[in-house]
Amino acid sequence: MAVPCFFHVDMDAFYASIEQIDNPELQGKAVIVGGTSVRGVVSACSYEARVYGVHSAMPIFQARKLCPEGSFLPVRMTRYLEMSRFIMEILREFSPTIQQISIDEGFLDMTGTELLLGSPEFAATRLKQKVHEKTGLTISIGIGSSKFIAKMASAYGKPNGLLRVLPGKEIAFLDSCTIREIWGIGKKAAASLADKGITSVKKLRSFDEDTLRKLFGTSAGTYYYNASRGIDPGIFSEAPKSRSISNETTLHTDESDSELIRQIVFDLSHQVYFRTLTEGIIGKTAYIKIKYADFSSVSSQKTYEQPFLSAEELFHSAWDLFSIRWNKKPLRLLGVGIGSIVKRNSPMQTELFETVYSKKHDLEKAIHSMKASGMHLIKASTLMHQIDKKEKKKL
Amino acid sequence: MKFICEKNTILKEIAIAQEIISSRNALSVLSNVLLETSQNTLTIKATDLKIGFKTQIPVETEEEGITTVFCDKLLGILRSLPEGDIEFEDIDEIVVIRPLFQKMDFKLRSISPDKFPELRIAEEESFFSVPQKDFIEMIKQTIFSVSTDETRFFMNGVYMEQSNSGLIMVATDGRRLSYINKIMDKPIPMFKPIIIPPKILNLITKLCSGEGSIIFSINDNYIFVEFDSHKIYSTLIEGQFPNYRRVVPEKQQYTSIIDKNSFLDALKRVSLLVDQKSNRLFLDIDEGAITLFTEENDIGMAREEIPCDYSGEKIRLAVNYMYMINPVKAIDTEQFIISFTEANKAITIVSEPEKDFFHIIMPMQLD
Repeated sequence: MAVPCFFHVDMDAFYASIEQIDNPELQGKAVIVGGTSVRGVVSACSYEARVYGVHSAMPIFQARKLCPEGSFLPVRMTRYLEMSRFIMEILREFSPTIQQISIDEGFLDMTGTELLLGSPEFAATRLKQKVHEKTGLTISIGIGSSKFIAKMASAYGKPNGLLRVLPGKEIAFLDSCTIREIWGIGKKAAASLADKGITSVKKLRSFDEDTLRKLFGTSAGTYYYNASRGIDPGIFSEAPKSRSISNETTLHTDESDSELIRQIVFDLSHQVYFRTLTEGIIGKTAYIKIKYADFSSVSSQKTYEQPFLSAEELFHSAWDLFSIRWNKKPLRLLGVGIGSIVKRNSPMQTELFETVYSKKHDLEKAIHSMKASGMHLIKASTLMHQIDKKEKKKL
Repeated sequence: MKFICEKNTILKEIAIAQEIISSRNALSVLSNVLLETSQNTLTIKATDLKIGFKTQIPVETEEEGITTVFCDKLLGILRSLPEGDIEFEDIDEIVVIRPLFQKMDFKLRSISPDKFPELRIAEEESFFSVPQKDFIEMIKQTIFSVSTDETRFFMNGVYMEQSNSGLIMVATDGRRLSYINKIMDKPIPMFKPIIIPPKILNLITKLCSGEGSIIFSINDNYIFVEFDSHKIYSTLIEGQFPNYRRVVPEKQQYTSIIDKNSFLDALKRVSLLVDQKSNRLFLDIDEGAITLFTEENDIGMAREEIPCDYSGEKIRLAVNYMYMINPVKAIDTEQFIISFTEANKAITIVSEPEKDFFHIIMPMQLD
């Protein structure tokens, strides 16, 4: 059996770097991508901006204070998605088993590829070169005997990093990390560990599983036990049973206008549905998420016997769920998702009766293939005008 | 209230009452069955507010009266008792159940009958009757096609309408459809088509003796039926049943005559190995033979060939085997006919010789 070998590929300052290669004038400058409204937060920032103390998830106004010279740009999701897909294709040339975990991160199972691609370090260097040649972007790669170790290793050398944790050296590597650097241990978890006097990975490892489970609960206890031993605690295990695709929007200002909310649910439903088309999957469960101005949140879901075959259908179910759950108070965030996913080419049962959605289904498929081939389509929707009017009123 | 009754006589009716009652809360009157004695008759009533049930059995009344008791426990007690006569007596909100000549008694708390919901009564004029035997056959040919998808509530029941010469019943879940048009000796009066929930139809099939007739009355979104000594009513499903006539193929190009039992046996064997997710079964129909097989999947595959009477092009059909089993089982002739036109169009199943019913199954995609 070959020794397991995983790459964790992480694109450096992904959104900001794309803005820099698309507009060479921004090279070497502080670039901050994020919401442009008062409410906005930083989605990504270039390393030049990080020098000023700007980091992602920071409110935009604060970033402006810290880095007044910076270029503040809006999020161009379509462009980033396109680039992400392009890079994932390059990754696929190196391993048939890749697992994308977000727009700018992925795992490659490189087990047994040495004869074909050379040593892991060599293959990783070539991968970095190839991505840079084809896109101008830099990536960081961590190499380890599990996804967990690889993920932690990639964080070590950022940006443009490459670190391999040799098989057998996992414990030594972990001991060189602080508790907070262990993947999956956040601020709160680190604090609760510190409360019990556990301030180093070595110390954490000195406890047996039962004790940790008693101290921190069963799932956290087992997680700590495994993580401190370099055993993949299973955060990135593949093929989760209930995959879902969702999308959410934080509103510019808290909203309670029913028409506007309906339009946003409509847009989210379409975005989510088109993603299922791109990924060649279908789902039977509609999800919604509501977050009120006071940060309290509600979610709801409904599973149907037949999968959604059109965005309209998803929208109607999502809107039904909204109508039931939403108490008409101002909202700050809305989300729509689709779950109970199966591959689109699963054997399909044909229907006796034509539903209102059967025709929409064909139309949407056509629109999707036009979009996929790069055509720019303009939506003709009367609802859109209403939104425009509202936005203008606010300005 | 005090009466004596033979165990099995009352047990049978209480078991039905319990099927109707949906509440399991011992403190709710809706979990109770109502018992009322008058002369030498015991009236038993149960309801879940949607369905109401009333039946009468002969008893030996010693003292007339009325009460309600927790049906679930009453049923449990009756089941556990030895054969023979049982005495029931209502004393201060307690019902005492005492098998005669036995050294045992049970006491069940009762709830005042005043709180028991009033059962609906059918309007006198609008009655019509059909033979029990015919109506049971109509139910048996259709009920399995009812949809359980609550989002399509209007398909959650069996559609019934009056036809020129009798009654039509249709059930569908959107992927298969069952239809029967029973000719009746007596004309059926006009009524607005209705959608009947399966619960009452199941009760009717279970309770009907098969002899005599069943009397219907339909009004105000309720259906009332009366047969033997039972009276049952149910709310109807409100909604628009799909226009089923539009999806019934007018004619099919090819027909294949198959022995029912050989097909059913083959279907049961081959379906052991269908892909669990899709339930997809393939049928290769060729001159003289029909082959049932599954695709190769994680578990394995199965194949069986049986003779059939067919002359036409060789064709491959794919269906959800579950949709095939019920209609074929419901066929009451030795042979039946599968007819079709194209692989992606509706398939029709009828008996041979053809009778007053048919089943339509939508195929699955072949690849």
